Amino acid sequence: MAAAVTSPVRSEVLSLFRSFLRTSRQFSDYNIREYTRRRAADAFRENRALADAPTAAAAFAEGKKQLEVAKRQAKNTMFHATLLTKMW
Amino acid sequence: MAAAALRPAILRRIRLSPSPSFSQPFAAAAAAAASHPHALARWLSRPMSSHDAHLTREEVVDRVLDVLKSHPKVDLSKVNPDAHFEKDLGLDSLDTVEVVMAIEEEFKLEIPDREADKIDSLPLAIEYVSNHPMAA
Repeated sequence: MAAAVTSPVRSEVLSLFRSFLRTSRQFSDYNIREYTRRRAADAFRENRALADAPTAAAAFAEGKKQLEVAKRQAKNTMFHATLLTKMW
Repeated sequence: MAAAALRPAILRRIRLSPSPSFSQPFAAAAAAAASHPHALARWLSRPMSSHDAHLTREEVVDRVLDVLKSHPKVDLSKVNPDAHFEKDLGLDSLDTVEVVMAIEEEFKLEIPDREADKIDSLPLAIEYVSNHPMAA
């Protein structure tokens, strides 16, 4: 009854990882930037061994959600930074 | 006249400095130039040139090697201009993505995904950067 779930393709996974790295660049705070990179690298490496399709697909979907969170945070950081520069 | 040629070079150095001090551009330029010996050598040898954009192949090779050497998982003894990231340097696909991103940052480039996916070795990385008109 459940729809067939497919694992993400390798290139999709690497592309998602690259998106995390690009997003983390937008953080001007060194600590946040490095944490985002490190966390993404660790999570992707940890999940690499996931063998069955549903678990891998779920991890990939979770990764995409986390990317959206990170992108929103990066936008807020830039917004606040812009506010500060305008105040000065 | 010389100032016009030096200005872009100085401005480039200020961007490179982690904490630019706008009241001391020359101090920042000297500090940043010291950490980028190739840039300093280039800057000194062509003071009158207003076209300062092109990188020599040697400089590209040296800088790409440096990027690889700064990656924590790379075996330094195996780094050479012919090395393949995964076969020779023991990196995995995630490390390769990190390395290509580091190369983007070193040369101030933005490499599209379909091109980045093809770069899996030093020769390819060096080739890509050397052929890129915007590499700095």
